[in-house]
Amino acid sequence: MTSGRVRWFSGLRAWAAVTTAVGLSALAAGLASPGGEAVAKPPASMEFCKIYPTAHACAASPVVNCTTCHTVPPAKNLFGAQVAERLAPGVARPLSDADYIAALPAALKAVEALDADGDGISNLDEILKGSAPENGDSRPTAVSCTPGQTRSAAAGRWNTCGYDPVHAWRKVVLDVCGRSPTRTETDAFRRRLPSESSWREGISGQLDTCLRSPYWLGVNGVLWNLANAKINPQDSIKAGPRAGSIPLADYEWDYNLFAWMNTGDRDVRGLLTSQDFVKRVSDDPPTFAAVPEGDFKGMRQAGQTVPREKRAGMITTRWFSTVNTMFTPIPRTTAAVAYRQYLGLDLARMEGLHPAVAEPVDYDAKGVAAPACAVCHSTLDPLTYPFTRYDGIIRNNYNPNRLKNFVRTDGARVVEAPEAGEIFGQKVANLLEWSQVAANSDAFAQKVTWDYWKMMVGREPSPADQTEFALMWKGLKAPDKFNYRVERMLHALVLTEAYGRP
Amino acid sequence: MRMPGLFAVLTLTLVAAAALAPAVVSAQEAAPASTDPRIKFKDGERYLRDLSETFEIPRDEICLELSRYDCSKKSFRIVLGGVDPYDARVMQPLDQATLASPIAFDRVALQVCANRVAKDRADPAKALLFKPASGRPDRAWRDALTDRLYDRILRRDASVAERDRMAAFLEGVEGRTGRSARGQSEQTLLACFALASSAEAAFY
Ligand code: HEC
Ligand code: HEC
Repeated sequence: MTSGRVRWFSGLRAWAAVTTAVGLSALAAGLASPGGEAVAKPPASMEFCKIYPTAHACAASPVVNCTTCHTVPPAKNLFGAQVAERLAPGVARPLSDADYIAALPAALKAVEALDADGDGISNLDEILKGSAPENGDSRPTAVSCTPGQTRSAAAGRWNTCGYDPVHAWRKVVLDVCGRSPTRTETDAFRRRLPSESSWREGISGQLDTCLRSPYWLGVNGVLWNLANAKINPQDSIKAGPRAGSIPLADYEWDYNLFAWMNTGDRDVRGLLTSQDFVKRVSDDPPTFAAVPEGDFKGMRQAGQTVPREKRAGMITTRWFSTVNTMFTPIPRTTAAVAYRQYLGLDLARMEGLHPAVAEPVDYDAKGVAAPACAVCHSTLDPLTYPFTRYDGIIRNNYNPNRLKNFVRTDGARVVEAPEAGEIFGQKVANLLEWSQVAANSDAFAQKVTWDYWKMMVGREPSPADQTEFALMWKGLKAPDKFNYRVERMLHALVLTEAYGRP
Repeated sequence: MRMPGLFAVLTLTLVAAAALAPAVVSAQEAAPASTDPRIKFKDGERYLRDLSETFEIPRDEICLELSRYDCSKKSFRIVLGGVDPYDARVMQPLDQATLASPIAFDRVALQVCANRVAKDRADPAKALLFKPASGRPDRAWRDALTDRLYDRILRRDASVAERDRMAAFLEGVEGRTGRSARGQSEQTLLACFALASSAEAAFY
């Protein structure tokens, strides 16, 4: 979730390298061995943010990319090489994870004043300001205006040096109501300008009005589209109204739940924890109503089939397990999609690695215990176990004995796969505990905020946005601030410089 | 695309865009350039909703390719910043404009303007943009046209410099379209296109 394009490329490179390196002993030697102690070095990605909590990269996600220190792990980039040189010098290799983590702060400290890429900016400055210490072409961007510029900007048609209320208000109308303001509306808003409290009220009132518009809340509206990647709708298998040719599940429940949890006085963690559903009673004005549990009786594939007390919001809906779990006993894709879409961590790009000890066991005999696979699967497999009791296509039930159905296809050991698993290094007994840990994590608050930031500001949080972005997601978590109410967070978001400075 | 004579003016649209687009952008001249600009593309749907409102043409009729396929919901959905999760499986708007985006955008702007000007010609009593000059088109006629266009398309007044530039442009085009009512309507269409395809109309 940091600088998207860099991550995308480095992720691809890492992936390609890992997949082609299967069997390369040089790589294998450094990676987790099944059953033994994990000796991989991915923990540095998390330690880094503990050491530099205010670093730009750590504002958006608690784990930094491996490429902060590596070109392709284990090969080091210029910065990583400086760190490695000063890491527990003279101590025999390989270091245990504990020794490695203990030695890391001193090694990082020792290279702060150095300039790995020779661009004249110290490693520390680059880390804090969000440019790449290993890349001479990457420098922090200057965004402040000179005093002279500030004066002339404030007098200009757009205040390019600060928050411009008219610009921000117009953006709210366009972003959230989906239209430009009329001239009459603009004149009325301009009359508020002399008083800050008045224009703030104007922006806030406009936002409240627009947040109830069909453009924002309706079918195919803004919130609906924000959920597309999470829900992954496919009309051919849609059930319920406008059913496809092979109706298996109805994604409308998912879209409705998403909109519901993202609006009004609702706790957005409900995306991962809600056990209730809502239906859309009208689209203009958009209106939702709770669904009495009994309504699902007899609806079959068009309803919800996991018993209420086993539900975990969007990640146990009939649709979610239909499109993701399908027929797999150990539904890694399901866990990876949940991790990516709700926590912003893409394991395929080696984000969010938290290797569990003695994992992966490889209960379904897929070969994931091989060192080159274990680098990801030591995190992914324990993340997946809590999903193993939820049926995919057709039944979509919760079934404690589900894995028995897979002995013939996936081997006798498949039934040994536990329901308990691990997320962010924390042990969880089942998916309900999993979803609690997930919903309360920084990663969740960051991802929720990130999605809105990307859409409203129009781009991913940049180094210059770091402070404001952190205020938003930390505020989302804080009970005395937004308290997980998305709309409260949006009221603050439209008052940020990132949003209101042209 | 039913307006007769449209092809004759098509080539002129390039001239129009070149002559006027910079003028529109420089309306921001008072402020120093943004150190970190974050303007966003309006996307096809917002754009057509806006023009539907100011041109007083129902949203469903304002822009149809082959008289049938809505420009932003169907024909140019993805290239104009929309999504199509069900069929094309595009879940989020593309991060970067495609090569075809500016072409599609110009095409939409031209069609919408042509649509409005055709309505004005068909029912002069309810004309919004094109109102024939009572005598020879003069500076007053051109200024009035400029004001209508800025009011409807950019929802603001034209500056003095913008009026001058538009007047000079219209005069220049008159050499090719002629002064007849038809020529005037073609000038109107071109001027409309120039503003509707400007950065100010497309971004926010
Ligand atoms: C803060 C910098 C930093 C980050 C971030 C980082 N590493 Fe490392 N990594 C190092 C250093 C320094 C070494 C050398 C350790 C040593 O000398 O024993 C290393 C070594 C390794 C090795 C070789 C292990 C060995 O025993 O030789 C692997 C594999 C590795 N890292 C993978 C990763 C992966 C995968 C990630 C991302 C999830 C990652 N690293 C993130 C700094 C980092
Ligand atoms: C860079 C991290 C990474 C590495 C390395 C990796 N995987 Fe995976 N694997 C994933 C992710 C993430 C998924 C979930 C699929 C997704 O992203 O949608 C996955 C899914 C799978 C699945 C389930 C696919 C399905 O359709 O259910 C299998 C089987 C698998 N991996 C086997 C392997 C094997 C064997 C190796 C080593 C040769 C390997 N993986 C290496 C990240 C990795």
